[in-house]
Amino acid sequence: MLGMLIKEIHTYEARKNELIGKSKGKFALIKEEQVVDVFDTKIDAIRQGYERFGNVPFFVKQILEIETPQNFTSNLLGV
Amino acid sequence: MPSFTTQIPNMQGVGPVVEVKLAVGLIIEEILKKTSQNIPAPIQALAMIDTGATGTVVREDIIKQLNLNPVGMTLINTPSSTNVQCYEYLMRLLFPNNVVVEAVVIAAPLHGQHIQCLIGRDVLRHGVFIYTGYIDTFTLSF
Repeated sequence: MLGMLIKEIHTYEARKNELIGKSKGKFALIKEEQVVDVFDTKIDAIRQGYERFGNVPFFVKQILEIETPQNFTSNLLGV
Repeated sequence: MPSFTTQIPNMQGVGPVVEVKLAVGLIIEEILKKTSQNIPAPIQALAMIDTGATGTVVREDIIKQLNLNPVGMTLINTPSSTNVQCYEYLMRLLFPNNVVVEAVVIAAPLHGQHIQCLIGRDVLRHGVFIYTGYIDTFTLSF
């Protein structure tokens, strides 16, 4: 369970269909209940997040219909 | 092309490991400078090149020491778990020979004391990784 970003994750879920319709594949910058803007690249969204909010948690999320987990074959990972 | 080569005794047993420094991302450094805040010193860590990892992973305690805040969340699958939610952080990886890579890394616990970081294919996609097993060396170029 993620404590930080929980509001932002809820915001994304609530606005997901609308975002997919308008900006599928792009990157949304979300802070609390606000979708601040949408960017072509992840790093542009992160830069804007730091410039706007400083060194605090914010949520950059690629707008996708289906989430694909990242895969790790190593058993070094403790999860 | 920035590059480094490392020789590892018994590389088959130990794996392609390298001493790196983990630092806050350049964007964060700029923001901290602008607001006259302290910039955390880079942290020495042992990293393993892992072609079986989609993304780069850093141990959670290092993230805390660098006073980083999450910029995202991702789902991961491991040999023992599926769809585990993990935070993502912007970070700079400082390799030998001044090879520097900026990456959005995943924070997760890593078993064992010796490895603090897995270098995944998100970093390797920018470069050339040469594993020369018969002389226990590897080269990473960007």
